[in-house]
Amino acid sequence: MNNTAASPMSTATSSSGRNTGKSISFAAELQSMMYSLGDARRPLHETAVLVEDVVHTQLINLLQQAAEVSQLRGARVITPEDLLFLMRKDKKKLRRLLKYMFIRDYKSKIVKGIDEDDLLEDKLSGSNNTNKRQKIAQDFLNSIDQTGELLAMFEDDEVDEVKQERMERAERQTRIMDSAQYAEFCESRQLSFSKKASKFRDWLDCSSMEIKPNVVAMEILAYLAYETVAQLVDLALLVRQDMVTKAGDPFSHAISATFIQYHNSAESTAACGVEAHSDAIQPCHIREAIRRYSHKIGPLSPFTNAYRRNGMAFLAC
Amino acid sequence: MASAPRPERVPRLLAGCLPPYPPPPPTVGLLSMEQEETYLELYLDQCAAQDDLAPPRSPLFNPVAPYGMYILNASNLDTALNSNPEVKEASGDFSSVDLSFLPDEVTQENKDQPVISSRHETEENSESQSPQSRLPSLSEQDIGLGLNSSSLSNSHSQLHPGDTDSVQPSPEKPNSDSLSLASITPMTPMTPVSECCGIVPQLQNIVSTVNLACKLDLKKIALHAKNAEYNPKRFAAVIMRIREPRTTALIFSSGKMVCTGAKSEEQSRLAARKYARVVQKLGFPARFLDFKIQNMVGSCDVRFPIRLEGLVLTHQQFSSYEPELFPGLIYRMVKPRIVLLIFVSGKVVLTGAKERSEIYEAFENIYPILKGFKKA
Repeated sequence: MNNTAASPMSTATSSSGRNTGKSISFAAELQSMMYSLGDARRPLHETAVLVEDVVHTQLINLLQQAAEVSQLRGARVITPEDLLFLMRKDKKKLRRLLKYMFIRDYKSKIVKGIDEDDLLEDKLSGSNNTNKRQKIAQDFLNSIDQTGELLAMFEDDEVDEVKQERMERAERQTRIMDSAQYAEFCESRQLSFSKKASKFRDWLDCSSMEIKPNVVAMEILAYLAYETVAQLVDLALLVRQDMVTKAGDPFSHAISATFIQYHNSAESTAACGVEAHSDAIQPCHIREAIRRYSHKIGPLSPFTNAYRRNGMAFLAC
Repeated sequence: MASAPRPERVPRLLAGCLPPYPPPPPTVGLLSMEQEETYLELYLDQCAAQDDLAPPRSPLFNPVAPYGMYILNASNLDTALNSNPEVKEASGDFSSVDLSFLPDEVTQENKDQPVISSRHETEENSESQSPQSRLPSLSEQDIGLGLNSSSLSNSHSQLHPGDTDSVQPSPEKPNSDSLSLASITPMTPMTPVSECCGIVPQLQNIVSTVNLACKLDLKKIALHAKNAEYNPKRFAAVIMRIREPRTTALIFSSGKMVCTGAKSEEQSRLAARKYARVVQKLGFPARFLDFKIQNMVGSCDVRFPIRLEGLVLTHQQFSSYEPELFPGLIYRMVKPRIVLLIFVSGKVVLTGAKERSEIYEAFENIYPILKGFKKA
């Protein structure tokens, strides 16, 4: 388990295309994204490459599972319902996804009202496009909901703590910027996988799959990819914070123990040595974050994060 | 997303009280059908007289009766249309021709045209130096007529003589104290100049609906009208466009019509009337009922960058900001019920208003908040 968790790059289940030096790389975009999510001004390239690998592996696995679910249903495309089905166990993440879908609907409704060309396009397309994603989600959750918990999420107005924390971090980050830096920051924030839809599709090698995702499913996948990156950055920042031994922290001796294996390996020594000077997230932070996330310790661990392959839990669901 | 604010179209400053709308003349009961139609014709002709670009010798400007006969006699429709190709031409083509050329031989009712149409011109060319007094008078004129049209459904007989009255006084005092022009504005009083800053949101798009109150044959309209498209497989309405004011209309077979793209309430009403006129000229007994503005979109620029992360954190219940999805922050103001799109650059788009005052009020409310998040 250690091996697979420590080096996600060597997993064998990802598509064979990956090992044949794929040309599509999101490393540059990921560097921007990480900056907008709380990393330093210039995130490290190695970190970006590692994050790309992690996200890629996780998405491929997710797609495969979604394809299986699709097949069970006898459908020919992967629909958003399949993805929602996979996420049903984790309420918080599901709620975040639902909120995202609603905001997407709402935004298209508003933008439509502003531009008359959009209004015409919408009318011409004939179909009832308003709130389409919301309807899909609602209908589906209605059908699988046995205890009423899932449907209760629609009315749930609780604050999403993770999102709140991200907002606060962004606010802190932007407070000290001047307007030129802030403009650049905003540009980075606007980057997403859905903006580069065709590249994203190729990156996931969708064309070689038998069952392909449809348009809304692709939107959700792009969102999940972004969520994965965000989660990784959140966790890596926590890990980095932990690494700094604070005076008076009673657990400092315990923390250093878990890092022994990293400090011993030649590769990470150099990286972590530099850590004190640069603000950027290091690959070792990311690996530690993943390791902790997948760790099976605890009484309930067999029942959480049910969707694992090779010991790596899904970060997005 | 929003263009820079256009050079100042001076918003209507209606200082002081306006005299009330002239009381409707003492009237009898409902007129007969034909009389009603002729009054309708008279009314619509006057409207058309302001808008129309066809030379006066066309049947449009002739005395009412012959044209009235065209309308009333359904069997004549095809022959009428065929024999009057210039009617067909004029009906569809409202290209931007200078309206102020209208000659002197026009009838008494149309004498006010040069004045009114030049006011149209000046209103629509915001750059030109139109005297202040003209603009309010035009808007009132329009509003007066608009009021007439909106209560058409109530009682035609009352209105038409009253309408001619309101049209008549204007030529006598074209440049004058236009406030004495008899009409009231249906809109709430506007405070166009904001107290805290000199920024006034400009209207970018108005969506309005009107009921022509008659069943329409969309195929016929599409065939005979210029600038009309109709694809029944895609969408069950005719899409018609005119160039002045630059608008698009969706005309449904039930007689309902949606007009979009105008930049002011008056322009929207004017455009809707033009479309109604087109439909009417094609032989349908089109009326102009229940004109209602459904949505108004305004935009402006506060001219400083805004730190949206701060705004979304402090106004969480009202705002949502997902830069991966949309570069602007979506702010749902409760009172007035307006949605604002706020961008980092300082541009603000306001939408969802039914009245101009709502847009101004919403901007008044948001401006101090935005100043608090100014990015130095």
